[in-house]
Amino acid sequence: MSSALALDLAQITKTYKSGSLEVPALQGVDLRVERGEYVAIMGPSGSGKSTMMNIIGCLDRPTTGSYHLDGEDVSRLDDNALATIRLRKLGFVFQGFNLLARTDALKNVALPLFYAGIGARERDRRAMATLQEVGLADRARHKPSELSGGQQQRVAIARALVNDPAVLLADEPTGNLDTRTSADIMSLFDALHAGGRTIIMVTHDESIARNARRIVRLLDGRIVADDAVAGDRSFTSF
Amino acid sequence: MYFEEALRVLVANKMRTFLTTIGLIIGVFAVISIEVLGHSMAGSISETLGALADNSFVVFPGSFQGNFERAAMRLSDLSNIVATVPNVATAVPIGGQRELVRYAHNVGRFTLSSDSNPPFANLPLAYGSYLSDDDIANARDVGVISWRAYQRLFPAGGDPTGESIYAGTHRYVVVGVLAEPRRGVLNVNFGGDVSIPYTTYVREFVHGDRIFAARFTVRDSSTIPQTEVAVIKRIRELRQVAKDVTYQTFDKAAFTGGVNSIFTAVTIVVALIGAVSLIVAGIGVMNIMLVSINERTREIGTRKAIGARRGQILWQFLIEAALLSSFGCFVGMALGLIAGGTINNVYIVKLTGYTAAPPYLQAFLITIAFAAIVTFAFGLYPAFRAASLDPIEALRYE
Ligand SMILES: Nc1ncnc2c1ncn2[C@@H]1O[C@H](COP(=O)(O)OP(=O)(O)OP(=O)(O)O)[C@@H](O)[C@H]1O
Ligand SMILES: [Mg+2]
Repeated sequence: MSSALALDLAQITKTYKSGSLEVPALQGVDLRVERGEYVAIMGPSGSGKSTMMNIIGCLDRPTTGSYHLDGEDVSRLDDNALATIRLRKLGFVFQGFNLLARTDALKNVALPLFYAGIGARERDRRAMATLQEVGLADRARHKPSELSGGQQQRVAIARALVNDPAVLLADEPTGNLDTRTSADIMSLFDALHAGGRTIIMVTHDESIARNARRIVRLLDGRIVADDAVAGDRSFTSF
Repeated sequence: MYFEEALRVLVANKMRTFLTTIGLIIGVFAVISIEVLGHSMAGSISETLGALADNSFVVFPGSFQGNFERAAMRLSDLSNIVATVPNVATAVPIGGQRELVRYAHNVGRFTLSSDSNPPFANLPLAYGSYLSDDDIANARDVGVISWRAYQRLFPAGGDPTGESIYAGTHRYVVVGVLAEPRRGVLNVNFGGDVSIPYTTYVREFVHGDRIFAARFTVRDSSTIPQTEVAVIKRIRELRQVAKDVTYQTFDKAAFTGGVNSIFTAVTIVVALIGAVSLIVAGIGVMNIMLVSINERTREIGTRKAIGARRGQILWQFLIEAALLSSFGCFVGMALGLIAGGTINNVYIVKLTGYTAAPPYLQAFLITIAFAAIVTFAFGLYPAFRAASLDPIEALRYE
């Protein structure tokens, strides 16, 4: 079981049924991501990016095919078991941050630990350490409305990291941010990648995608390209 | 944590929280204040009734007839009734006579009434003794006076037994003073102010053989209703009373039963008010919970994506509903206790001198029950809806 694979999707299909109409959103996707990889998923609108992220994120089950996350088959689990997988193995970063408005940064970051049944003191300690990691320890007691967009996204990233997930999933993480702030978030992702995190990011933006080490391109529910990012990266050999 | 978050939500929407709970506040307020008042009324009435002996009843002419004369009983028939009707132990005429009563310079208008042993009013003595069998057998000129008469005639206080008071031209020796009755809501003075032996009363005030009311004591109190029927039947037989003449009776059990049935009716009305306000308020709570869940769809989606299980979401919203309804119910309870207590102090206590401890425990239990019913009957469904949301759809919700 000591596979080096973080994700292993084999012949994944997803078909949405709306009435008599069947929409094949994914039509046989194979994707293997090793631990520590940093992958961007791209593709035109309607190509199946969100559908694939939902399956990777254990928010949805594939129609057929198998999916192993961190060595565990998660393609046929029930809702509560999937919730537990999300809690223990996944961290989500959303385009719209999705922080709890009435709650300060520290408590937002601590939320997954609460659902994991960890005591208040330990929650605060670990949430604080994670905020430190994203450079926001001094804003721990601020509410989301008192933070800039970039800071809010950092809090959201801290929340995604606090339970030490196997995979960090980000759906358009810079979609609501300006270029400068996007660059900040991307350098944070870089640092996380350098620290050994596995990151999967969906984006429309080619320049954002180039921050990853590998770009997977979808079209009509199929992977049409899967390339390592070459060129301007400092460590790539050119 | 659940509690803290629920509190934060309710505080963030103060106005909405308040408006939603108004129904509950009013409902619980109404139920609790009526409960407090009912409690002290009931206590006060049973206090009054405590002064009535429970082994006796009184027979007197029915109120709704023109000519009481036709319903009069014969004094001489009483001994016949004692001898022939089972369970009757004694029978004495009762009557009262308003007289100017005087001791030294102190005068008051009081009712002289016929009494026997045991006495009509079940009150303790402040001084002396009750009328004795001997006093009655010999028709002595003695009297037991009420506390009210004692205060008027003996303003200086002290033991008045052995002193002579005058009623009209008659002289009576005081043998006892009844203690001050604890008045109830009814404020009736069972028995008169100067109780004299019925034999003395008959000698002085009953002319001929006609009496209008009689008091019967029984050996077995549990069959008083049947005994009353038998006594009235016997009275009719003995005097060949016309069919349209009626009699009525008065006894403690029947009276208590009447009072209790009034309270049962009041209780049913209160329960109905409670049930209606519970449903109305509960629907309000349900509605606002559904609105709140709708507004927070994305939040719920986020919580689920982060890894919250169904039960954890359910619990969160159930606690929010519980907090909301407890808030309303406890505010209602506090207001109800204050209002009920105030009305009680201003009216009932002033009127009757009877002070009852407010029914705190009942009030608390009613409130808890209200809050629990609203939470579970009207909070469970919204919480369940929230817990069942599909995380993908919830996250996409704008
Ligand atoms: N719940 C659903 N029911 C029916 N069809 C769906 C559902 N969700 C997605 N689809 C369809 O599946 C296909 C893939 O959708 P998906 O949302 O994965 O695309 P996407 O790549 O994320 O697009 P975008 O870039 O616009 O977000 C589309 O044709 C879409 O209409
Ligand atoms: Mg999408």
